[in-house]
Amino acid sequence: MKVPRPYALLAEITYRCPLHCPYCSNPVAASLGEAPRRPKGGGYNNGELTTEEWKRVIRDAAALGVLQIGFSGGEPLGRRDLVELIRVAREAKLYTNLITSGMGLDDDRLRALRNAGLDSIQLSFQSDESSLSDEIAGARAHDRKLDVAANIRAAGIPLSLNFVIHRRNIDRVAQMIDLAEALGAERVELANVQFYGWAFRNRAALLPTREQVDRARAIATAAKARLADKIDIFYVLPDYYETRPKPCLNGWGRRYLTVNPNGDVLPCPTASSAIPDLCLENVRTRDLDWIWEKSESFNRFRGTEWMPEPCRSCPQKEIDFGGCRCQAALLTGNATNTDPVCEFSPNRAVVDAVLREVNLSGNNARDWMYRVNPFSLAM
Amino acid sequence: MRATTISDSARPSLAKGVRLEIDSTTQKSVLLYPEGIVELNETAHEILSRCDGQTLREIVCELAEEYEADLNALAADVRDTLSDLQRRKLVEFK
Repeated sequence: MKVPRPYALLAEITYRCPLHCPYCSNPVAASLGEAPRRPKGGGYNNGELTTEEWKRVIRDAAALGVLQIGFSGGEPLGRRDLVELIRVAREAKLYTNLITSGMGLDDDRLRALRNAGLDSIQLSFQSDESSLSDEIAGARAHDRKLDVAANIRAAGIPLSLNFVIHRRNIDRVAQMIDLAEALGAERVELANVQFYGWAFRNRAALLPTREQVDRARAIATAAKARLADKIDIFYVLPDYYETRPKPCLNGWGRRYLTVNPNGDVLPCPTASSAIPDLCLENVRTRDLDWIWEKSESFNRFRGTEWMPEPCRSCPQKEIDFGGCRCQAALLTGNATNTDPVCEFSPNRAVVDAVLREVNLSGNNARDWMYRVNPFSLAM
Repeated sequence: MRATTISDSARPSLAKGVRLEIDSTTQKSVLLYPEGIVELNETAHEILSRCDGQTLREIVCELAEEYEADLNALAADVRDTLSDLQRRKLVEFK
C-alpha cells in the first residue's frame, strides 16, 4: 500500500497547564506515573523537547507534506519559546493554530504571537459563566478568559471558542452560543467529551444523560441555522449515544500525526495511554519521515488489511475506518476490535451498560477527580 | 447573499484567517483556514491569485484577455466560483 502524506501536525509542546479540567485528554500517567525520560545534554529538565528539537520537528513535518500545525498541550503558553516556534512554522508555510486556555496571554505576548504570524486562536471555555466554569477548571480562569477573548478580537486574530460538553455543563449550550456571539468569535466548537485520558477515568461523572444530549443537539441545530451568516457552529455528538463509530482521524496514519512533549510521535494523541503495547518512536532517535512511513506504530492500523469482522466485510469500512482504535482498546482490551460504539460490534453491550448506568443514576452524578500537573513547576 | 447580487464593482478578497498557499507535495494551490484545507482547481487559483484589491470586473477582463475567452461566459464562471467560496466563508467582498 502506498503511504499517504500527512496534512496536519498536533504539537503538544508541554503537558504543564494551569487548569485542572477533569476531562483532559492528556495521559493520566503523564501526571501520576513515572517522570518522563530526561534528555541528554541540556534542554528542558522535565524531559520536554528543546527549542531546537521542536524547530527540526516542524521543518521535517512541513517537508513530509504537513500544511497545518496546532500548538497544544497542556497549555502551550507555558513554553517561553512559543513565539519562536510559531515563527519557524510560518517560515515553513504552515497554517498556525494556537489551542489555548488563554491563561498567561497578556497583551505583549499576544502582539508577539501576531507579529510572528499566528493565523488563528482556539480559546477554551469551560462554560458560559464564572462560577461553574471555574469549578470545572479547578482554577479561577473564566473572567480572565473574557478579557483574553476581547484582546484577541482587538488584535484581529481569528477566534474560535472551544467548549467541552459534559453532564455538568451540557444544559448551558444555548448560553455558550450566546457567549460566542457576544465575544465576536468566528467559530464555536461544542464538543461532547470523548472518553480518553482523564475523561475516561471520570466518565461516570461526565457522561450526560440521553435526555440532556437530545436537548442540546436540538439547541445547537437551531442556533446553527439562525447564526449561519455569523458564526460557524460545530456540534460534536457524544459517540456513546451513536450507533455508528466516528471516522477517527479519518484513518490511522492517513492525515494526522502528533508529537508529544517528550518527542514521542503518535498516530493519535491518546494512543500512548489507550494502547500501551504500541511501540512509540521518538524524534530524538528516528527521523520523522521514517516514523511516518515505516514505523510499526503508524502502520499497524493503516488501510483496511488489519480489520477483523464485522469491519472487514462492511461497506462503511472506508468511511468510518472501523472507528477509534483507542476506544476499542479502552473498552474491549484489544485495539484491533471494531469500535464498540458500532451497532454491529459484538462488544456493543459494553457501551450500553455504561449508558444504562448513567441514565438510571438520576441526578446523582458521581464526583470527578481533577487533573493534576506532571510537575509542580510554576507557570 | 446570492451569486447574482455580486456586483461588478465588488472587490473580492480572502476572508479573515484564510491563506492561499502552494502545497509543495502536489504543486497545487490550497486555501488554508482554521481546521481546514481546500484544494483549488485551476480556475479558482487564477481568480484568487488576482484578488488583490481589484474589482470583479477588472479580474474578469484580465482573465478574458489572458485566456482569450468569451467575456460573458467567463464572468459567469468567476461569479459562480467566488459565490461558492463566499458561501463557505473563504472569500468576502468589499
